[in-house]
Amino acid sequence: MAGSVPGRLHLVIVVIACIVGLAFASVSTFDFAQHLDRQVHDLHCSFIPGQRTNAIDGEAVGCQVTLMSPYSSVFRTRVWGGIPISLPAMGVFAFLAFRALDTLGRRGLARRRSAAWLFIFSFVPLLASIVMGAIALVELEAACKVCIGIYGASLVVVLAAGLAHASCRHTVDDEDSSASSVPTNGVWAMVGAAQLGAFVGIPMLAYVGMMPDYSRYVGTCGRLPDTADPGGVMVALDINAAGTPAVEVFDPLCPACRAFDKRLAASGLDARLHRRAVLFPLDDTCNWMVEGAVHPGACTISEAILCADAASQKVGGGPTANMVIEWAFEAQDNIRAATKADPTAAKRLVGERFPELASCVGTAEVQQRLNKSLRWAVAHSIPVLTPQLYVGGVKLCPEDTDLGLEYSLTGLLEKRGSP
Amino acid sequence: MSSIALRVGVGIVCAVIPTFMAGGWVRGAGKRLAKIEAGEVVSDEAEAEAGDVAIATAADEGYCNGDLRKILRRVLQSCGLLGSGEVRGCQPLQAKNVATMTGEDFNALFLPLSQRAGIIQFDKDSSELDQQDTALLDKIFADQRGASYFFVVARSSPEGEAEHNRELSQKRADAVMTRLRTAFNDPDLDREVGMLWLGEEYAQLDTNFCAWSRSGATDKCKPKDINRSAFVAWIDCRL
Repeated sequence: MAGSVPGRLHLVIVVIACIVGLAFASVSTFDFAQHLDRQVHDLHCSFIPGQRTNAIDGEAVGCQVTLMSPYSSVFRTRVWGGIPISLPAMGVFAFLAFRALDTLGRRGLARRRSAAWLFIFSFVPLLASIVMGAIALVELEAACKVCIGIYGASLVVVLAAGLAHASCRHTVDDEDSSASSVPTNGVWAMVGAAQLGAFVGIPMLAYVGMMPDYSRYVGTCGRLPDTADPGGVMVALDINAAGTPAVEVFDPLCPACRAFDKRLAASGLDARLHRRAVLFPLDDTCNWMVEGAVHPGACTISEAILCADAASQKVGGGPTANMVIEWAFEAQDNIRAATKADPTAAKRLVGERFPELASCVGTAEVQQRLNKSLRWAVAHSIPVLTPQLYVGGVKLCPEDTDLGLEYSLTGLLEKRGSP
Repeated sequence: MSSIALRVGVGIVCAVIPTFMAGGWVRGAGKRLAKIEAGEVVSDEAEAEAGDVAIATAADEGYCNGDLRKILRRVLQSCGLLGSGEVRGCQPLQAKNVATMTGEDFNALFLPLSQRAGIIQFDKDSSELDQQDTALLDKIFADQRGASYFFVVARSSPEGEAEHNRELSQKRADAVMTRLRTAFNDPDLDREVGMLWLGEEYAQLDTNFCAWSRSGATDKCKPKDINRSAFVAWIDCRL
């Protein structure tokens, strides 16, 4: 009987869409919050809110990428992991559900104004969805089903709120109302904004207030006995000599290393570091510490990086170590697969992309330098694990290399008095 | 009035839902974190991570039996690589002392190294490395992998005076070391390379070693040829 109570059906749809949006946002927030124990967890990544998916499933990759991206939360340097962006989304959907229920209970001009402001406020999740969706598609190149659920709910809320507003606007004037007792639009706006602030702010305060103290973990995961490089095994990753000295142990064909590199760059904290790399390929072709080739071709690509480093130091020109690393990160899936099928593929791919390095890869000199890199790891008794970052010799905890990166790295830098 | 109270009530309920949910999840994560910190494993993932993480170590292959390890330790000590000794290289007599076994048994210890070792063959009465020698030496030295020690065991054929042959085998070992210094800028060289010069008196190689990687010509593998040599190999043993 939508005709008897203007916009009722549309308002009910708004409430239902808000509940759906709240459910998706809750799932996303839950996935984020469970990582606050610094462990790795499976994610819920389905159009059915709450349905769990395995982290290694292809469909979960999009959710993994978006969850671990720097856009998934705010205040990341102040709060471990930051405050998930889906938490205010929960507040916004709860707020809009409340406003829709409130509108249902009003009559006359009050309902008309309430519906109008509901329509205006309903653009908040839609605009946020547009921004986050654009970031996901353009920046992250990933689609997350839970996020799409939020975007969809946001769109339905706007459409239904718009229809409710239109219904009320066209019919409510016929109803009896006491215009003098109805608050002005300015009051509606202020009250609405205050309510929205409370709905968003209170859960955020509760979230931050109940978080454990993560500062006690910063700098407690060991340190290098020294950061000297007498064997010349390290490769400079930047020219930021004024930055805090940092040693990064990584494998150029390791997906976690690529993701870590992206996160570090996105955080902007790399600008405060002077990073040098120790190559640690997880490939038994050169690394006796691993059983089998975890990342086939990693030894050859590491050699190419060392070749580029040596060549650019001696004669300049040609590809730099960073160029080879960048290429290896981009093409690592292809390189690993090709080398698994044909052990010579990595060398061939290097030759195709960097012909200048072809004659260097595989030589005794570069193999020996790579071996020295691995022996550096032995001499410093570091874990057989990539990536690892040592800032001023102090290890960034492995549990802090994803969501907690900004918080923990900032903490390490502040402990060292880094600018 | 009741309408306002109802609105406020609904508003509080709506606001409390996300607050309680998020707060509960954070509190739950905090409790799990505390349990992990206390050593109580609470998830498969945590259990997997709580397992021993391998630490980077030098290789220690199966052929590192007690005898080889003993020889290795004694040679390294007597040659000054372990401890604070300044000595570089060992005399043949000392080699016999550290290897209290027959020459055959001594050589047998190195048989498992067939894929890792090389025999650098010299010309008669010569300690100079030619191009084939340096190529083989460089190839073997570059293939260090996880090995901690590089052994250079120089010999000479039984022709000539024993004293002269001792000196000759020492020169051959020195020639190998000089080449390594020149070709590889390795600061650890002095801690890695152990040299023995055996002369003609101990552990002569038999022709079974002809099948190993050699720098000599195919037809130059009579006993006198193969003992004008330096046997080089990385030893994958930890001490």
